[in-house]
Order: sequence, then structure tokens, then C-alpha cells
Amino acid sequence: MTGGMTRPLSRRARVLLPLSVLLVVLASWEAAVQATRTQGLVPHPGGVLWSGAQLTANGVIFQAMSGSLARVLIGFLFGACVGIPLGLAVGAFGTLDRALRPVLDALRSIAPIAWIPMAILWLGVRGNAALFVVAYGAVFPFIVNSSQAVRQVDRRLLSAARALGAGRWVMLRSVLLPSALPMIFTGARIALAFAWASIIAAELAVGIKVAGHGRSVAGIGQLMVETLYVKRDVDALVFYMLVVGLVSFAIDAGLRRVQERLLPWKSH
Amino acid sequence: MSRAGARFGAVALPLSGVAAVVVVWEVASRLAANATLVPPPLTVWRAFAAMQGSDLPADIGASLLHLAIGYGLGVGAGLALALVAASSRALEAIVDPFVEFLRPISPIAWIPLAILLFGVGRAVPVFLIFYASMFPIFVATLDGIRRVDARLIHAARSLGASRRLVVTRVVLPAALPSVIAGARLSLGVAWMSLVAGEIVGGDAGIGWRILWYQEFFQMDRVMAAILIVGVLGLGADLLLRALQHLARRWNPAAAESAA
Repeated sequence: MTGGMTRPLSRRARVLLPLSVLLVVLASWEAAVQATRTQGLVPHPGGVLWSGAQLTANGVIFQAMSGSLARVLIGFLFGACVGIPLGLAVGAFGTLDRALRPVLDALRSIAPIAWIPMAILWLGVRGNAALFVVAYGAVFPFIVNSSQAVRQVDRRLLSAARALGAGRWVMLRSVLLPSALPMIFTGARIALAFAWASIIAAELAVGIKVAGHGRSVAGIGQLMVETLYVKRDVDALVFYMLVVGLVSFAIDAGLRRVQERLLPWKSH
Repeated sequence: MSRAGARFGAVALPLSGVAAVVVVWEVASRLAANATLVPPPLTVWRAFAAMQGSDLPADIGASLLHLAIGYGLGVGAGLALALVAASSRALEAIVDPFVEFLRPISPIAWIPLAILLFGVGRAVPVFLIFYASMFPIFVATLDGIRRVDARLIHAARSLGASRRLVVTRVVLPAALPSVIAGARLSLGVAWMSLVAGEIVGGDAGIGWRILWYQEFFQMDRVMAAILIVGVLGLGADLLLRALQHLARRWNPAAAESAA
């Protein structure tokens, strides 16, 4: 089952095998849709490619994407500004940790999207409600990882530095920060991924509220709602889904790269 | 700290945290001076009490049913896929790229397509939960199986254990902590997907009810329902955390590497 029980495949087989299975699946899918004449009801590979090419050419996808990404970035930064100090404080002071833990755990268990009615009430439909949802989702990974980062600093390193006569500043710069940063950065990676998922959810929820008022296209979520309820274009919907997935993938891969480059000494 | 003092801290500190939040909230609602904009804690409590006599039990029941079906199917599928992928390199080469391709597409992105395919209704949250919970447990289980000490397998085989016996008596028990850790991750994303699915594409459940109360502008009830979402999610997580704790006693080394 593991290790010695099965022989590893050659590199070529590892690429060709899934690729050929994928091609067979896509081809038979396309054939099935063509044969049953259900284009427009069921998404099919050819249609997805075609609407993808159109939406890329007329720039619709980029416009929506920049709106969504801007909100994700603002919400993410807000999450960092609140979450990192709070997480560090909770990690450093056990009393604070025990006082706040049930509250933070309960708040964390509220799916960010559940706040959407309150967010709309407080901040309005046009963008800011979605921003609230994103910021809410991004705060918790920062809190969790920052507090964990403080807790796992090796006490022996601290005492060693103190015994060698390190001052406060040296201690912070040379011991605390280097050992805490990788974990905080991992928190940032989780937060950004979570923020991206939350923005889609928030825009979907907000988009349904304003769909049909002629001002619904502001982000990729709203675009999906419009495609679903107004245009009823299945293929475009699948294309948007793939783009959303591609962005998540790019965010994660990109931040992993940055982490390896900036903080090469330890990665979680 | 003395023992009595420690026990006092274990109860009093969390309570003081909760109390602090209630006070901040009360102050905020006084400042806003608008019971709709920021419903005061007492109003929300009354709304909660009123909801208990009406829709709340049915809503929670509906949500838990969504969760049970979707999570059961998703975890089952994830486990089965992981076992299939672990059983042969060729199958792994086929399954793994598909999983890695689908995994970044968050369940949320499926909502519009799910609505189009199934219509607004209970199938949307169930499908989202299924999809969301499949991947974390797949990844964790496969990883857990790969980490099983090869010496244990060789020892069992050389003692004459059949392949099936090796799987059921050596590989699965050793991988159990990873499986449970994966199940806990799965439950977390499943809960988020449940709420999103019910809000955007459902017609029953606690998430859907949040939007229902919003239509009637009963913000105190909206607030109560939001808090219930948090408490239910926390309860589910605590349940799996307890399971994880059990698994840690079962196999400390594997639990450490899975955590």
C-alpha cells in the first residue's frame, strides 16, 4: 500500500496517464452534449472555451476581476492590521488568551457570509458590505497563526540570548521576529485564500439583492449572478468558476514562492 | 497559582471575556441609538427566546440534515478516493491531478452552477458541503497512509499477513489520526459552505432563515440567527477536537505529524 509495495511510475507515465484520461473525459463529454443537443442547458468544453475567449477579448473578465481583487486586498490588509496585533497579544499573555478564547472561537465559527444582512445594513450594497465580509474572514487566520507563532518560540533561545547579554531590541530583532515570522506569513497565506473565497460568496449574496437594477456588475461574484439569472449562460458560468479557481491557485503558489524567498529559514 | 485559583481562572476568565463583549455591544447599541442598526443584547436574547418557540428547531434540524448528508457523502468519497489513490501508483497518477485541479475552485464558486443544475433548494447546500468536505480528508488521509512506518508493513508481511490484513490492521489504524485531522478540516469548510449555500441558493436551514428575517427587517432575529450559526459551528468543531484528542492517545507520533 505504501513504500515498498508498489513500484513508482516513470515520469512520462505520470504525465501522459492523467492527460489521456482527461482528454477522453472531455471528448466524451463534448460528444454526449452534441449528441443529446443540450447545449445551453449543460455546460460543454467547447462552449466554455468559446465564451472564455469572448469574455477575455472584450475585457469583461478583467474589469470584474480588478473590482473583486481590490476589495480582497483592502479586506486582507484590514485583517492583518487587526489580526496580527491581537494574535500576538493573545499569544504572549496567557490570561488574555483564556479570557478571549471562547469569544474568538465562537466568532471564528460564524461563517463570514452569515454577516451579510448586517453588513448591508451598516455599509450598503455597493461594495462595502462585501468588504466587511472579506475583512471578517481574513482576521481569524491572522489571529490564530500569530498567537501560535508567539507560543512556539523556543524558550531556550530566549534564555540563551538573555544570558549572552542581548538587550530588548536585539532580542526582538534577532530572536523573536525570525522565529515568529514564518508562521505569521503562513497565516497570511491562509487569510488571503479565505478572503478570496469570501469575496465570491459576498458578491454572490449582494449580487442577488441588486440584480436587475442595472448596476450589478462590480465584481466577479456579481457577474456570476448576472450570468445566472439574466443571461442564463452556462458555459460562461463554468469559465468564471475556472478563473476563480485559477486565481486561488495563483495566490497560493505566488505566496509560497514569496515565503521561500523572504523567509527561507523555516517554512510550515 | 493554587489549584482553586486555577479552577477559578478556568471558569471566570472565559466568562469575563464573554461579559466584556456583551458590554461593548451594549455600549455600541446605545451609541447607535437605533435598535434596528445595532440590536441591544437583551433584545437579541428575547428574539432568540421567541424563535425557540417557532421556527428555530426546524431550521436547525434542516441545517443538520444538510450537513449530515453532504458531509457523510463528502467524507466517504474523500476516504474512498484516498484509498484508491494509495492502492496503486497508476490510479494515484490519475486521481491526484484531478483533485489538485478541482481543489482550488472553492465550493462558493460552484454556487451559481449548482443553482442552475439543481434549482434553488436543498440540493444546493448539500452539494456544496459534499464538494467542500471531500478534499481536506482526501489529502490528509493519503498523506497519513504515505507516512505509515514502512517497517510495520514489512514486519506484518513477513509474518505472513495478507494484503487485506495489512490494510485493515496496520495501515488504517496507523493513519487514523491523520484521517480524523482531515475530517476536522473538512467539517470547518463544510460549515462555511453550508451557510453560504443556504444563504445564496437554499430554501431551508438556519442560513436561509437569516435572509428570511432580513426580508422582514427583523434585525434582532437576524443577529440571533448569526450567533446560533457560530455556536453550532463551534459545537461541531469541539466534537471533532475531542475525537482528535482520543486519536492522539491512540497514536501520538502520527497525531503529532498530522497536526
